[in-house]
Amino acid sequence: MTTGPGSKKTAQSPTPKKSAVTVKWARRLEVGREVLRNPLTVIGLTIIFLFLMMAVFAPLLAEPNQPDPYQSPRDWSNIDSPPGVAGHVLGTDSTGGDVLYGIIWGSRLSLQLSVTVVLFTLVFGTMVGSIAAMRGGRIDNLLMRIVDVFLSIPELIFALAIAAVLGPSFSNIILALAAVFWVKYARIIRGEIIKVKQADYVAAARVVGDSSWNIYRKDVLPNAATPLIVQATLDMGNVVLIGATLSFIGLAQAGLTEWGALVSAGQSGLLAGEWWVSTFAGLAIVLWALAFNLVGDGLRDVLDPKTEGR
Amino acid sequence: MQIRDYLLRRLALLPVIMLGVSVIVFTLTRFTGSPVGIYASPNMSPDEIAALEARYLLDQPIPFQYAAWIGGLFRGDLGWSGVSVAPVTEVIGLKFAATLELAIAAGLIAVFVGVALGTLAGVRRNKAPDHVARLFSILGASTPTFWFGLLLLVPFYLWLDWFPLGRSTPDIFSSIIHPTGMYTLDAIIALSPVAFFDALRHLVLPAVVLAFGAMAIIVRMMRSSMVEAMSEEYVDAARAKGLPNKIVIRRHARRNALLPTTTVIGLSFGFLLQGAVAVELIFRWPGLGQWVTSAVLAGDQATIMAYVLITALIFMTVNLAVDIAYAYLDRRVVLGG
Repeated sequence: MTTGPGSKKTAQSPTPKKSAVTVKWARRLEVGREVLRNPLTVIGLTIIFLFLMMAVFAPLLAEPNQPDPYQSPRDWSNIDSPPGVAGHVLGTDSTGGDVLYGIIWGSRLSLQLSVTVVLFTLVFGTMVGSIAAMRGGRIDNLLMRIVDVFLSIPELIFALAIAAVLGPSFSNIILALAAVFWVKYARIIRGEIIKVKQADYVAAARVVGDSSWNIYRKDVLPNAATPLIVQATLDMGNVVLIGATLSFIGLAQAGLTEWGALVSAGQSGLLAGEWWVSTFAGLAIVLWALAFNLVGDGLRDVLDPKTEGR
Repeated sequence: MQIRDYLLRRLALLPVIMLGVSVIVFTLTRFTGSPVGIYASPNMSPDEIAALEARYLLDQPIPFQYAAWIGGLFRGDLGWSGVSVAPVTEVIGLKFAATLELAIAAGLIAVFVGVALGTLAGVRRNKAPDHVARLFSILGASTPTFWFGLLLLVPFYLWLDWFPLGRSTPDIFSSIIHPTGMYTLDAIIALSPVAFFDALRHLVLPAVVLAFGAMAIIVRMMRSSMVEAMSEEYVDAARAKGLPNKIVIRRHARRNALLPTTTVIGLSFGFLLQGAVAVELIFRWPGLGQWVTSAVLAGDQATIMAYVLITALIFMTVNLAVDIAYAYLDRRVVLGG
């Protein structure tokens, strides 16, 4: 053993493995720094962090209602109380439900909804789109026609029909959104993979005799995944918006501490001058969606500047 | 690919996709059991309900039911709308006209305001108008339509009473005939200014609320394509010729920036159709959205089916029309599968 790879000057001939990893992390760090340079992204991240804290520490912030913490405790002696009355910081609704309690426990439902739907649709959509792009031919054609069918109905409307059939409950809203949202990812990843497949390094890997699974895993997917990250971030906000619309319409259980359902509960009060229920609950939805939109836009500007505005 | 071939292929694919939509939605609606509830009344005996199921073929296997349903579709029979207590085909036209009027009004607002704001933002990049436009577009993308609608109701309906709920004042409504079902248009045909202003007063607030989300997309696209256009050489060339700034922006930059914006108009129409569900609910607008919400809560599957099909048809037609417009506006475009 004469000279180990580590003893050489790293700048000239580093070990291939180590350098690849270092470069990867250095690049990630650089992207991270660039993302944080945008003040709007930082605002978005801060709001998301606060919501996360709210969801995690919900039992400490508002004592859970027994037996179901996702039903507001009813204070029957303080119905339609304005903010600040009898310890209700943001007031109560027409059944004495505390608005702040609903917003705090609602953040858990929003988190559950968005994480479940985005994770599932991201994975499933990537699978479908990857199979279509890697296989090509008839399979591609068939899968993309199915995607076309899904794309021909606006998301909310498709989800509405599915949730309606499944029956009114929050978990059915999650199911309905998961059934609808994967399509975009399939389409995006398919387009990206077809582009990436023409790159020289993919041809090189093929010449070397790598299996197609390895080529896909090592060369294609990492280089095609960037737009997915942006889309997934934006969808963390989008699914909560659409989910809230569905529960506003009445597709969640009655009295659930979900933000859209809370806005709906305050609807009649609003026209009687009791503005607080709908206003605060809606504000929570706006902040949530706004935060993910800000971060998604910031990520897009750094990772994928060409697609700005789409 | 030749543009004509591409468009013909899209047109040929349209019925295929519609068939796909109908299969998926039909299977879904039958998945959870028989929709007999909407036809039955509470005091029917089990025998009577079984007879009812047999009459509507609900005791048959799903593919058979589907075939029967498609057969009905071609005969102009979309089933019985429980929430409207009438055949679907009898009421769908009126609902469609109501939603179309609302969506067109909102679409016009979204396009005009969106293009104007986007142009201004792109020209005054990083100045106050740009910041306003960006704030506007990100808020439009983050605000739930139903909440925005409720918030506007408080000042404009509750306090000022400028804009009433619903579609028209009954007396004024019955004073003219309604051949199109779009009340503003009907009033123009009837040459009745009173009816026209009444219809307009009902239309303005829901249309503005509905336009907000779609506007966000248009502002955004218009801004970024305007920024791009302003840095093009032809803009410099026009300036070098000594053309006044206004003309450079209007005739050169904006005309080119409008092209990419056309593509998102189809997309934003999807937002209008989705948003109409909540807007119609809040403003008591008797269109497709309000119709389907009551159908959803009542489990009225014939109505839900009809609604999804007609929405898909509208959405696809609009998108095809946008593609055609785009192909004619930009002859350089090369379209692919």
